[in-house]
Amino acid sequence: MTTELAEKSVAADTGSMMIEVHRLTKQYGDFRALDTVDLSIRKGEFVTLLGPSGSGKSTLLNLISGMTSPTSGRVVINGVDATDMPTNKRGLGMVFQNYALMPHMTVFENIAFPLQVRGMKKAEIETRVAEVLKLIQLENVANRRPRALSGGQQQRISLARCIVYNPSIILMDEPLGALDKKLREDMQLEIKRLHAELGVTMLYVTHDQDEALTMSDRIVLMRNGRIEQQGSPETLYFKPDTVFSADFIGSSNLFQGRLEGEGDTVTLTAGKDRLAVELRSEAAVGPGDEAVVLIRPENLHIADGAIPEGTNVVTATLLDTVVLGGVVRHFLRTEDGRQLVAQVLNRSDRARPKRGAPVQLYWQVGESRLLKADPTFSKQ
Amino acid sequence: MTGRKLSRRLSFGALFVPVVAWMCYLFLLLPSTIVFPISFGNTKEMEFPPSEWSLDLYRQFFNDSAWWGAMTQSLFIATVTTVFTAVLSVPAVYALQRARLPMSSALTHFTMGPLLVPVIVLALGLYLQWAPWGGLDRNLTLVLSHTMLATPFMMISVGASLRHVDPALENAALIMGASKVRIFFRVVLPQLKSGIAAGSLFAFLISLDEVIVAYFVTGPETETLPVKMYSAIRWEVSPVIAAVSTLLTVVSMALAVALMMLERKQRSE
Repeated sequence: MTTELAEKSVAADTGSMMIEVHRLTKQYGDFRALDTVDLSIRKGEFVTLLGPSGSGKSTLLNLISGMTSPTSGRVVINGVDATDMPTNKRGLGMVFQNYALMPHMTVFENIAFPLQVRGMKKAEIETRVAEVLKLIQLENVANRRPRALSGGQQQRISLARCIVYNPSIILMDEPLGALDKKLREDMQLEIKRLHAELGVTMLYVTHDQDEALTMSDRIVLMRNGRIEQQGSPETLYFKPDTVFSADFIGSSNLFQGRLEGEGDTVTLTAGKDRLAVELRSEAAVGPGDEAVVLIRPENLHIADGAIPEGTNVVTATLLDTVVLGGVVRHFLRTEDGRQLVAQVLNRSDRARPKRGAPVQLYWQVGESRLLKADPTFSKQ
Repeated sequence: MTGRKLSRRLSFGALFVPVVAWMCYLFLLLPSTIVFPISFGNTKEMEFPPSEWSLDLYRQFFNDSAWWGAMTQSLFIATVTTVFTAVLSVPAVYALQRARLPMSSALTHFTMGPLLVPVIVLALGLYLQWAPWGGLDRNLTLVLSHTMLATPFMMISVGASLRHVDPALENAALIMGASKVRIFFRVVLPQLKSGIAAGSLFAFLISLDEVIVAYFVTGPETETLPVKMYSAIRWEVSPVIAAVSTLLTVVSMALAVALMMLERKQRSE
């Protein structure tokens, strides 16, 4: 009875999955680029592979596209085992960092190319290309060569070239890496808009955490060929499971030390500071263990008068203050040399502490997060 | 102080280098340009400067079917050689650069072989090889021999073009579903156009003015223009060869200029 139910739910699951990767491993000599990774991507989902270079995100992308073949494991695309399928039979789309537009073809010919590959009639090709050019608002460049266009325009053409033939999934390998900041932000919104309008499944690779946080339904954070943590941008930002996740996404203040005491709230001793932290069962640490407490910069407050109840207080010196438009960042150092960052909203009428002044910092015990210490990870 | 010294050295270099370069050009060019005035001289003997000016030598060339025939034969051999060289080299370069064959770098060097062996040795070897097979005095023999000589130049020229073709374009086409054959003809080949054009010019000119190998493997039926010129110098010392040389030079230069203009046009596009 239970097994029957379980089988049914698996079958239903498979129908809604565009990509399933089972225990996928890629070994280059002694180096394991990807280490027994399992990952499923739902139809219509926007998933980002995030991680530092060498974390295996590009390897995973190349294994899905078929540009490289795995040492072991399976790749299933739209319910069909594609592990041994050649790249050109997988029905995928891909957007590259350097656009990969054919320099000898016009914009029209570039977008028409995948349709010609599919043996489509000339009249239909013309209609379809005109439609996607309208969708990306570049109708007037159909007869230009890609090189005559700006980087942003070229990347939109490259996106149109994918959209035009309805691939089962669009893979994007750092597509905005070559663009400047302003254009990158515009393109992020453009890609999000197209994703929402067309409901196409997207797998996006980036090492830029802001990009991942802005665009994704789900972020898959990778490290050393494995998935470190996956979840919504909010989960990864507010509820990191590991020190690496906490440090890679957003800015973080980390205190490492030994846990002491009993009950739900215990004490972590880091240098001179004794900090109260709430125990979490998922963190798998208890009294006597090495642990790390994470406080996001927006939860670290600079005392301005009375300090509220239920907080931890540390003393520090203000090193520098940076105004980033709407927010202000204070960079501080504690007596034992620990660097901290506090972030507050900017207000024109607010008096700021002076540089070099000693300040009291505090945070609510409930707004910090307890993590297991990671001996392989050290903050730069 | 050092700045002034540097600028003086620069201005000296800026003057010295072009002067030396032009002297080298003149040294290389003058002996061949001497045939231009001679070709407009009289028909009895070669003289420089000519004592009288006329177009008689050109008239003689175009009226003599032996000369005229040798010229068309040379153009025919050069054309076929060019086609053979391109058809052989372009897929070879593509395979050597992209397919990650075992020993592909050794094979690439191997294709440069004909450049390293003295032409006279090649010619003798070809002669000794073709003779017992009854291959002498045949167009195919000459075309194949010239193809061998021209292949390294085509490989270098097409290879340089292919290095500028981003392999990501081929991957992009593959992901879009294109077959390897379509990718070669629609993605790679159009981008090798200028390399193939330059290589073809080399191949055509190498075949057109090649004399040593042609002298060994041709006969009365297949004699090319340079072979006929060589014989003419040895047996008749006919001043008509001055007209032939001038014509050959003009044809070669016209092709070179055409190619340069073609490349400039492509770059501006």
